[in-house]
Amino acid sequence: MSATMDRRRLLSTAVLGGAGIVGATALGSLAPEAAFAADPVPVEPGAPDPNFAEGRISKISGSMLLVTGSDAVLHSIRVTDGTSIWKLTPTTFDRIAIGDGMYARGLRLPDGTLAADSIWVNIVSLHAHVAAVGRNVLHLDHNGRRIVGHVVPGTTAAVYNGTPAVSDVSLLRVGRHVQVIGAWHPDTNEIDVATVYAAA
Amino acid sequence: MLALIAAVQPLLIGAVLLWSAAVKLFSRQATAAARRSALVPLVGERRAAPAYRLVGTVELAVAALLLLPPAPPLEAGAAAVLSAGFLGYLAYARRAAPASSCGCLSTRRTPVTNRGLGRAGLLLVAGIAAGWAGEHWLAAVRQRPLAAAAVLLVEAAAVVVLSPELDARWLLPLRRLRARITRPLAGGGGGVPLFATVQQLQQSPAFRQVAALISSDVREHWDDEEWRIVCHGARYRGRVATAVFAVPRLRYDPGAVRVAIVDEATGVTVANFAGARSAPA
Repeated sequence: MSATMDRRRLLSTAVLGGAGIVGATALGSLAPEAAFAADPVPVEPGAPDPNFAEGRISKISGSMLLVTGSDAVLHSIRVTDGTSIWKLTPTTFDRIAIGDGMYARGLRLPDGTLAADSIWVNIVSLHAHVAAVGRNVLHLDHNGRRIVGHVVPGTTAAVYNGTPAVSDVSLLRVGRHVQVIGAWHPDTNEIDVATVYAAA
Repeated sequence: MLALIAAVQPLLIGAVLLWSAAVKLFSRQATAAARRSALVPLVGERRAAPAYRLVGTVELAVAALLLLPPAPPLEAGAAAVLSAGFLGYLAYARRAAPASSCGCLSTRRTPVTNRGLGRAGLLLVAGIAAGWAGEHWLAAVRQRPLAAAAVLLVEAAAVVVLSPELDARWLLPLRRLRARITRPLAGGGGGVPLFATVQQLQQSPAFRQVAALISSDVREHWDDEEWRIVCHGARYRGRVATAVFAVPRLRYDPGAVRVAIVDEATGVTVANFAGARSAPA
């Protein structure tokens, strides 16, 4: 824990510390050629993106995830300290469980594994109507199927009419259309709501 | 009483069939509704719209027979057969084309649910009961108007409750009213959500400066007094690094966002950029 605090202090100081701040011109090397030179991403038109994988996690061993894609293709995904992991909020590797669904983006290594830059666990995006509301619960009607959306106070964000996100979800109205980004509870019709977009 | 209940069933069935026939024959969206219905797998895409209108015509004819005198038991038999047909069609739709729309009493997309099956079952029972009617419904209503009104009211309420098409008229307003009174979602307002910070970050000049270097989504974040620190993975000159952003936590000021690219292996800040308006003079 103290290592985490030390690291955070170092990073906070790096970005907030007054000394050593340089102007934007000091980032002269940020030309597109320089930025993209390191990792060319050859994707053939029409072919599956080699640097993307999706599926359900069937095995976790060490820092490797074995994932069965929805097209039954198996993917090996390597998670590093630099990988971002999302499961409703930015989280850590130990929160990933067998049976979770996931999307991963990264770099395909020569041995076929995907070195993940980002992993989104159980992420779903769905258009729905608010059928009913309960205590911190949205009952959503998605193509005639009922989805239970749990509002997580402090985490759930609401975007009304495209304005900046707020944590107040009380402007949602029964019967209105919403788009919901959330984290699915595997093998249920329940999700935790990350962001809900609505008109108000 | 049982005789009265049997006698008024043709009125109920006739009213529901009239409503249903009007939707199928006179609605401008009837063709679109037919294409969304389970008639498509049953009779084919091309014949779905004519079949839909044919069903409407049959409904109109049976409704007219039921509502107009005289009232031979044969008419009740026709109504029961039609209702049994609906029940069978809906059961087929649910099994063979679960994504299809009911197309029953509204041209709006309405999935086939247990309620729709329940309504068809209710009409079937009403049709069978009507077989025992001894007289035309008008005579029965004239004889005992209050009792007839009560029976019809209860049955009409059952039809409305079993019709998902009508939810927007009564169920949703009721739920809206309950939400307005109990305010079940009012307790969630706790602080600035991370997504608001990320939105501000992505609109900042600092983010535009380094966007091409960023390789991952948000890795971690924490609050440091008036700032929220947000870390992304980054690649800088072929090396793995961390892009650390400081975003104003409680105000919207993308111009004040700062960024540092830190090589975590060495702890060295390899580049940083303070927001245009907050840079020291």
